[in-house]
Amino acid sequence: MSQNDKPFFVGYFPIPGQLKGFLALISVGVVLLFLLAGLVIGSTQDDPGQSGFRFDYGRQTVTGVVELTPYPILRVTEGNDLIKPGKTLMLAAAGKSGVDARAAPHEGGLVQVSGIVLQRGTIDMLQLAGGQRGLSAAEGDTPEFDTEPLGRWKLAGEICDGKCLNGAMRPGRGLAHKACAALCLINEVPPVFVSSQPVEGSDFMLITGLDGGRLPDMAYDFIGQFITLEGELERRGDILVLRMDPETLEVIDG
Amino acid sequence: MNEAEAIFLFAKIWGAIGACVALIFLTIGIERIDEDADGAYVFRPLLIPGILLIWPLVLWRWYILADGKDEWSSRYKPRRTAHHWIAFAMPVAIILVLVLGLSQRQIWPADFVPQQIAPAAQVSQ
Repeated sequence: MSQNDKPFFVGYFPIPGQLKGFLALISVGVVLLFLLAGLVIGSTQDDPGQSGFRFDYGRQTVTGVVELTPYPILRVTEGNDLIKPGKTLMLAAAGKSGVDARAAPHEGGLVQVSGIVLQRGTIDMLQLAGGQRGLSAAEGDTPEFDTEPLGRWKLAGEICDGKCLNGAMRPGRGLAHKACAALCLINEVPPVFVSSQPVEGSDFMLITGLDGGRLPDMAYDFIGQFITLEGELERRGDILVLRMDPETLEVIDG
Repeated sequence: MNEAEAIFLFAKIWGAIGACVALIFLTIGIERIDEDADGAYVFRPLLIPGILLIWPLVLWRWYILADGKDEWSSRYKPRRTAHHWIAFAMPVAIILVLVLGLSQRQIWPADFVPQQIAPAAQVSQ
């Protein structure tokens, strides 16, 4: 076969007869390959769990007191049918970003917040609407809330970002989600520790540095990996806050 | 310092140098290598994110253009020789990454029972 007679595939020309069989084989093969790859990869993934944006609830508006852990949480004082007084909500903004700068001026003060709930197990987050619609100062008496220390604990589990874990992404945890979680945490989304077993009734807890500051930089290396660590645990409303001790952090073998 | 801390430090240093390059390039440099930029200012802030990321390339191109060493035709030279190998290497790499990822997976420590090491101190905020 001379070079000029050699069949050549051009997408917008009729398929050369000699290439039809080959093209059909490749087309079917590629579809089957991707089907097989999807089945194999999908079957190895963990169940992402029951979590997600609750758009079906509609936008929720509640009033409460802002606490910085240093990540902002809201201790609800005046709720609604869905979010009762006494509930504690983590706060985040749309996309991969937190609301630290918006919440900081209101620390310890009464605010009204409005947004969409993300829910997973015992832990809830509110994705605030933009600007004043999402967070604004409210008038009224500001109650004082206690923080209940629960002692020092050794736990096993995983550091995640609170928003994806709560269902903004599915799956929102694990090694495949490490880069996404790191970006969320860098942009001030509250970090969450998922415990291997419930602690004081909760599988999830907000995690901070030992001094109550931000998650230390060194912890970003272990996001999405299964680890053991020690830390001081405290209860704020109905969520737990773990002040991790970076010196005790270890990756679990296997 | 672990890898994450090193990456954070590197990103901060890289960004700081990029900011300096952006400041100098966008105020005095760009007009010297692109006459169309002379007197045009509104678009310049749009270049800042890009310069923060690829400031070494900006410096290199600034040097080449300012020194009159630019060979504009070389930019259009096709680089197809490497494509053959890359076309094979990419699917192989994808399969390797998948296999390695699945073989190196950790097992969720479901049996680990949380342990209280010390009781709560009698402190309340």
